[in-house]
Amino acid sequence: MKKHQTRFWIQAALIAAIYATLTILLGSIGYGPVQFRIAEALTVLPALTPAAIPGLFAGCMIANILGPYGMIDMILGGGATLLAAILSYRLRKHPALVPLPPILVNGVVIGAMLYYVYAVPMSLWACMGAVSLGQLVSCYIIGYPLLKILGHYEKIFQ
Amino acid sequence: MLRDITLGQYYPGNSVIHRLDPRVKIIGTMVYIVALFVVHTFVGFAISFVALAAVIAVSKVPVKFILRGLKPIFFIILFTFVLNMFMYSGEVLVKIGFLQITKEGLYTAFFMATRLILLIIGSSLLTLATRPMSLTDGIESLLKPFSKIGLPAHELAMMMTIALRFIPTLLEETDKIMKAQQARGADFETGNIFKRAKHLIPILIPLFISAFRIAQDMAMAMEARCYRGGDNRTRMNVMKYSKIDGVACVILALFVGAAILERILI
Repeated sequence: MKKHQTRFWIQAALIAAIYATLTILLGSIGYGPVQFRIAEALTVLPALTPAAIPGLFAGCMIANILGPYGMIDMILGGGATLLAAILSYRLRKHPALVPLPPILVNGVVIGAMLYYVYAVPMSLWACMGAVSLGQLVSCYIIGYPLLKILGHYEKIFQ
Repeated sequence: MLRDITLGQYYPGNSVIHRLDPRVKIIGTMVYIVALFVVHTFVGFAISFVALAAVIAVSKVPVKFILRGLKPIFFIILFTFVLNMFMYSGEVLVKIGFLQITKEGLYTAFFMATRLILLIIGSSLLTLATRPMSLTDGIESLLKPFSKIGLPAHELAMMMTIALRFIPTLLEETDKIMKAQQARGADFETGNIFKRAKHLIPILIPLFISAFRIAQDMAMAMEARCYRGGDNRTRMNVMKYSKIDGVACVILALFVGAAILERILI
């Protein structure tokens, strides 16, 4: 393993730890149909460092292992976060668009999961809408300013 | 505030279930979840329930402890149940104003609620009876075949292990930062949801800086000790399949057989 690669994975690990910590701290609001996960604000991080892609994936898996929904949430939630993180990374040149993929991808995947697997009796669109709405608040209200401010501290990400 | 948090759901023990190889437990849980969607009558659920109850009994995890973990989602189950009950048209049993409970609605409500409860208890049993560390070891080992197509299995598992180890540290750190910001007059408790969300930024920024400092120190320490990733590394606890894993697989196969028979015959 090359020198900078160790640092890459350790940074990813710490991002995962922050994600899981924030989700655990806020308890039950972070799970369920009308979820409001502050930790999702971190989904803007791929714009600053690619280490955030595996970091967010692992963080979401860990948060969901510890959460009440169990394994399906762990696999689908982790997968959705991974896909969103990759898309956010691709959009890193356009800061205003960076928070968009986590809103759309999680809305569709988690909304569909709640509808089909957990049979939450709202229409499919309502499930997706509810999840997206929570994501919108986390990603734009917290995530976007976070991205702007952390942009000043570029040194720590290298 | 931070003292109330129980991290993870692991229930320490030394039962047969605890001693099973984590890989067997992960695959077993996946198979159980799929089986819950294969069965389509209450007979199938009865079989699944008996299987689950037997595993819980063997694992010696107290039922009370399992039910306590269900508390946060109890409301969702109830909500699903009530809505399902009223949503279906069919043979009317009770009519209150414009609301009506039909036979079909009641059946669907019970059917969905049973599946949901079995699903959640079944999958939480995995984390109840497996240490998070052995879980990540199990995941690493199961992902190993995919490393041929470029999936960094070892790195992913190493990352999850480190993340798990640092969660308590970061919880403590968050607590310290919150107290420090409160001493400077920060207010986290009033205002609407947007204001409260905004107030979290002064916590997040110092948390990041501190976490990235930890990352930098740790990466340097690992490099100084010549860490080079997964190849040729030995482990302190090597996972090995034993006789009980074989027995567990046979029981699992019998359960799957029963679920498939239920689907075909009933």
